Amino acid sequence: MILTEVAPAWIRICLILVLVSGGFLLSSRSLKNLVRTYQLQSFLLVLIALGLVVLEGHTILLLVAALTLISKVFGIPAFIRLIQERMSIQQDLRFSYLRPPGALMLSILIILLVYVCFAQILEKLYAANSLFFLGSVIGVSLVLMGLIAVCTRRMAISKVIGYLSMENGVLVFGLFVTELPFFIEFVIIIDLIILVLLTSIMTVGIDSSIEEYKSRMKEFHLLSEEGGMS
Amino acid sequence: MNGESILFGLLNVAFVLLISPFFMMVIKKVKARVQGREGPHLLQGYYNLAKLFRKETLYSEYAGFISRIAPYAALSILLVAALQIPLIWIPEQELVTANIIVFLYLLVAGRLLIALLGLDTASTFGGMGSSREMSLSAIIEPVTVVVFAALVYVMGSFSIHGIFRTAMTTFPAYSPTVLLLSVPLFILIIVETGRVPVDNPETHLELTMVHEGMLLDTSGRNLALFELSHAVKQTLLMAILLNIVVPAGIALELSAFALVLGGAVFLLKGTVLCVIIGLFESAYAKMRFFQIPNFFMIAFFFSILTIFIEVMM
Repeated sequence: MILTEVAPAWIRICLILVLVSGGFLLSSRSLKNLVRTYQLQSFLLVLIALGLVVLEGHTILLLVAALTLISKVFGIPAFIRLIQERMSIQQDLRFSYLRPPGALMLSILIILLVYVCFAQILEKLYAANSLFFLGSVIGVSLVLMGLIAVCTRRMAISKVIGYLSMENGVLVFGLFVTELPFFIEFVIIIDLIILVLLTSIMTVGIDSSIEEYKSRMKEFHLLSEEGGMS
Repeated sequence: MNGESILFGLLNVAFVLLISPFFMMVIKKVKARVQGREGPHLLQGYYNLAKLFRKETLYSEYAGFISRIAPYAALSILLVAALQIPLIWIPEQELVTANIIVFLYLLVAGRLLIALLGLDTASTFGGMGSSREMSLSAIIEPVTVVVFAALVYVMGSFSIHGIFRTAMTTFPAYSPTVLLLSVPLFILIIVETGRVPVDNPETHLELTMVHEGMLLDTSGRNLALFELSHAVKQTLLMAILLNIVVPAGIALELSAFALVLGGAVFLLKGTVLCVIIGLFESAYAKMRFFQIPNFFMIAFFFSILTIFIEVMM
């Protein structure tokens, strides 16, 4: 009973922290912090999903929470960290088009734009449940903020985190408005894992030939001398 | 003006003068501990002030009247500001007319006086410090205005008494907007008191100093007054953050027990905040001068976000 009363406030706080983490992904220069923030953002999604289970009673959301916890809180960040350590990349200081202050300003404008548009489109939802309206605005804003990160960051590894943040935005929107089927969420996560894997491969060897590629993998300690993945 | 108003003013001014040097020392102690040093005694701030008050005041041969009045004026301005910020007791009725815009102007007036002092001594370091201070304040001011605008929007009042009263009585402690507001208010403390990563209060290196550059030619009693006004400014800004985000413990009625409890709780909350500031300063290096606006932008982002979220909820 108490949980049902606390859940809306809990979800609101988590939603705002998700948006804050989106802003942090745009401004942070440390790759370690970027991965940590993505991990935290994903964990907040787990908490939101659990809050919605308490509020709405849809048990399928428990599966979404479990899947998010395993893949986005533990799996993907651990893999990106492994690549980072092997390649000894610490910071992403290169930006294109916009630097972090400009990106933050643009994201403020985007949030405002999304709010104005949604206030027209989802007028009934706003009147019926302001929490779900807030969730939908923050979800779409997070997608667009992820897109800004993809466009403004120059390192492939930071771009990947931008894409991952975009997917988190889709999940937030799905949780609050469209009730994304579990199967589609599962497929998206598989896509994400493949995206992270492919980008890691491309980061190492996109500018090399097939012959050079093996030596490049060994250079970054991604392939052992015997030929197996290390 | 009745007896309660006078008591309210006296309480605020006496309490802020009493605890401000202690908070400064807590931050220094935390920073020293993080660096593996013992650090100064927690009462060292009071000893330093007593020593400086006893010392002779020297003036540059070029110094005009600004150098003579600025130390007293700077402290007086901040004590007027202290009259507006309830630290340990929030009376039911507004006893002293306190407006957030007036408070902002008082902060700016204090800054202007110190910048004039830097120019008045006619030393190159003073002029450089004043120039840097004014360049930074041109960027800080709009951000500060937006931060306070968010505060006013969320609390629904321009009156500082009204804002504190709302935070204490009607606003839920777990409110997401209050949580969001705490970030720009924290950044404001760092920026307005010239702390790392914006400025380093402990350096006298010509490449980096801003605030210290303006005070380089100040000595004796004048330096003590500036040190005290710097500490008072920090305590007042801390009080705004603490009494809005963690309003618990402030006395709502006038009784000896409630006032002592309010003072003790504020001291405790302030010490915790000072530890956080000390750890924050230790975790960051001083930013390059032209990188500093990026830091302000974070406060701006959070303030705008606070207004948006309040509108959406």
